[in-house]
Amino acid sequence: MAESAAPPRARFVAWLAGGSIADSRQAPMRTILLFLAPALIVYAAFTIYPVLRTFYNSVHTIGPRNAQTFVGLDNFTALLTQDRVFWKAVVNTSIFTVVGTIGDVLGGLLLALCLFAKVPLARTLRVVWFTPVLMSYVVVGIIWVWLYDYDWGLVNLLLGWLGLESWQQSWLGDPATALWALVVTHLWKWLGFNMIIFLAALHALPEEVLGAAELDNCGWFAKLFHIIIPMLRPTLVNLLVLSFIGKMMMFDLVWIMTGGGPLWSTETVSTYVYKRAFNWNTFDLGYPSAIAVLWFIMILLFVMLITRLLRSRDRLEF
Amino acid sequence: MMKQIVTMQLAAVAVTLALGVGIAAKADDVTLTVWSHEADEPAKVALREKAARNLEASHPGVHVKITWYEKDGLSAALKTALPAGQGPDVFYLEPDQTDYITAGYIVPLDSLVNWNNIYDWAKQVWTHDGKVWGMPQEAYTVELYYNKDTLAKLGVTLPANAQFTQSEFLDLVKKARAAGMTPIAQGVGDRPYPGAYILAEALLRKLGTDDYGKLLNGQLSFEDPRVVAVFTWVKQLVDAGAYPKNFMTLKLGESHHYFYQKPGSLMFPMGSFYTGRAFVPVDQGGQSPDFPLGVMQFPAMDGGACNECKTIAVGASFAINAASKHQDLAAEYLNALSTPEIGKQWIETIYLQTAVKTGATEFSGPYAPYFTELMKRQEGAKYFTGMPIDILQGQCKDAFVQIMNSGFPGGLLSVDDAVKQMNQGCYKG
Repeated sequence: MAESAAPPRARFVAWLAGGSIADSRQAPMRTILLFLAPALIVYAAFTIYPVLRTFYNSVHTIGPRNAQTFVGLDNFTALLTQDRVFWKAVVNTSIFTVVGTIGDVLGGLLLALCLFAKVPLARTLRVVWFTPVLMSYVVVGIIWVWLYDYDWGLVNLLLGWLGLESWQQSWLGDPATALWALVVTHLWKWLGFNMIIFLAALHALPEEVLGAAELDNCGWFAKLFHIIIPMLRPTLVNLLVLSFIGKMMMFDLVWIMTGGGPLWSTETVSTYVYKRAFNWNTFDLGYPSAIAVLWFIMILLFVMLITRLLRSRDRLEF
Repeated sequence: MMKQIVTMQLAAVAVTLALGVGIAAKADDVTLTVWSHEADEPAKVALREKAARNLEASHPGVHVKITWYEKDGLSAALKTALPAGQGPDVFYLEPDQTDYITAGYIVPLDSLVNWNNIYDWAKQVWTHDGKVWGMPQEAYTVELYYNKDTLAKLGVTLPANAQFTQSEFLDLVKKARAAGMTPIAQGVGDRPYPGAYILAEALLRKLGTDDYGKLLNGQLSFEDPRVVAVFTWVKQLVDAGAYPKNFMTLKLGESHHYFYQKPGSLMFPMGSFYTGRAFVPVDQGGQSPDFPLGVMQFPAMDGGACNECKTIAVGASFAINAASKHQDLAAEYLNALSTPEIGKQWIETIYLQTAVKTGATEFSGPYAPYFTELMKRQEGAKYFTGMPIDILQGQCKDAFVQIMNSGFPGGLLSVDDAVKQMNQGCYKG
C-alpha cells in the first residue's frame, strides 16, 4: 500500500518507526524524541526559560506595569562598585564554602573510614550519622536555633555542666560566632551524605590491591595515603565539586536560623538576592537578577578551575 | 410504546432545560478571588470569611474565594503573579508596600469604597498623590506593657501620668536586673521591627513629630545631637542588661511567652496587636486570665519636644488589583469588610483597634479593664502615623533592620558606629 494512501494511524506508526523496519537494537530517533519530549518541555519551562529570563532581566530595569528598559551593564557596575552588602555576602559565602566543603568532605571520609574499619556499633553509627541527611533544612534550622539558644540551649547547658560558663555565648547573636555556628550546623547535616558515598567507594575498591599492600607489610596510614585515597580520587573530586556548588548557593539554613544577621555577618549571596527581589519595596528584578547572573558565572568559573586543577583521566559525572 | 417515547422525550427536554438554566446561571456566576495574610489568626480568618459570606448573600451568583497565606509567602506570590498580569481581584497589603502603587498594580479607591465608615487619619495613611490606594482595616498603637505585680515587688510606683522620666526608667531597668529578672522581653529572631520600639519611641518624644518624620525620611542626620543623646540613653539601657541574652534569636511569639509565662519579665514593648497572641487560652500560648497586665507610657525624654506623642499605625489593609475584571465587585467586598458590624466584631474578637468606625464607647467582657486602660493611655496623645518599618525604604530599611532593630539594642554597636551606619543608609543630606 502506498504510504500516502495508508490510513492516518498506519502512517503515524510508520513515521514513529522511521518509515522502515527499525534496527531492533536501536529505537528510531523520532520515537526517542517523542518519549523525551515531556521531560524536555518541563526542563525547558522550569529551568532553561527562568535562567534565560534572569540573564535578560539582569541587563534591564523593570518599571511600572512591567515596562523594561535596557540598561546594559549598569546593574553590574553598581553591584561591583557601590554595594557593600554584596561584598560582605561574597566574603561570608566564600568562608562558608571553603570551610564547609573541606569539613564536609574530609569529615565524611573520616566517618567512612571508621565504618570501613568496622568499629564497634558500626551499623548503629551509620544510621545515626546518616539520619540528619534525611531531615529538611527547616527542621534542622529550628532544632539548632534551640540548641544555640543562650538561656535554654543545650550547647550552653553543656558548657555550664563542664564548668566552662565563660564560653557560654549567644552563638547566633554574635557576629563573631554566628557564621561558624551555621557551618557547624551544616556539617552536622551533610557529613552523613559524604560518608555514605565514600563508604560505597571504599567497598568498591579492589580487594586484591588492598590485600597485596597488606602482604607487603604496608601500615594502615601508608595504605590510606598511598593506595586508598588515590583510588578514591574520582569520588573525592566529585564530592568536592558537589559540596562546593551546594554551599555557594546556600540559602535555606541561613534564612531559617539568622536571616542573614546579625549585622549581615551571615548574609550569603543567595539570601541577599532574595531580599533584594522580594523584601525591598520594588518590583524591579533587574538588580537582583544581576547578582544572580554574576554569582552563576563565578560558580561556573570556580567549578571549571577546580575540575581542571584536580583533573584526572577519569571522566567526571555530576 | 408511543406513550413511553413521548414520556422519554419530555423527560429529556425537561432535563435539558434544567441543565440549560443551570449552565446559564453558572455562566453568570462570578468568583471573586482574595489573597490574605494572617492565616494563623483564627479570629481574623473568621471575620474576613464572614464578610465574604455577607457579600455572597447580598449578591447571588457571586462567590468569594479567599486564599490564606503568611506574609512572606503572600509577598512572593504577588510579586510573581502581578507582573504576569494575573493575581487575585483583592489582596492584603500594608501601608509600607507603596511599590504596588508606583508599579501600577492597584487602583485608586476614592470612588469605589464607602469612606464614611473609615477614620480620616487611617484613610490619610493610604493617600498618595491625592488618591487613596488601600482600604485600612487594622489600626494599632505602640504600647509599653508591664507586669503590675512585678513592678510593685520592685518597690516602684507608676507615676500618675503613667510615664517615667529617662533616669527613672533607667533606674527601673537596673532594679529589675539586680532582682534577677529580665527588664524588657524582646526578641528580633523573626521580625524586622520590635527591637527598635524603645529607641524609636524615644526618638519620637525627643524630636517631636516633624523632626522625627524628617529623620525617617532622610532629611535629618542621625548625628544630630538630640538623636545621639537618645542613642546614648538607650545604650545605657542595653549595658544595664535591659534585654534578654537571646534577644537576637527570640521570636515574636516566644517573646510574648517570655513576658507573661516563663521566665517572665517586667516590661514588654509591643504594638497593641499584642492581644492577638495574649488574649487566647493559655494552652494556645496566651496569658493567664489573672495576669496583672498594665499599660504605661514610654518614658519622657529630657527636653523632649513631644513627650505626649505616640505612634499609631495602620496594619492590615486591602487593595484592588488593577488587572481585575471585577473591580466594582471587589470594592463591594472592601465595603463588606468595613461595616460597623464587622468593625465591632473586630474589636470584640481580635481585641485590637480598627480603622473602621464602630461607634463603640464602652467595652464589656473579660478584657474590658484592659481596653479601658488602653483608651486612658490615648488621652491627650498626639499621634505620629506610621512605624519606621512602614516608612523606610530600600537600603535605609535594611540598615534600620540590622542596626536599630537588632545590632544596636543587641549590644553589638557603639553609639558612634550605629549613628554613622544609619546615616550611611538613610541620610540624604
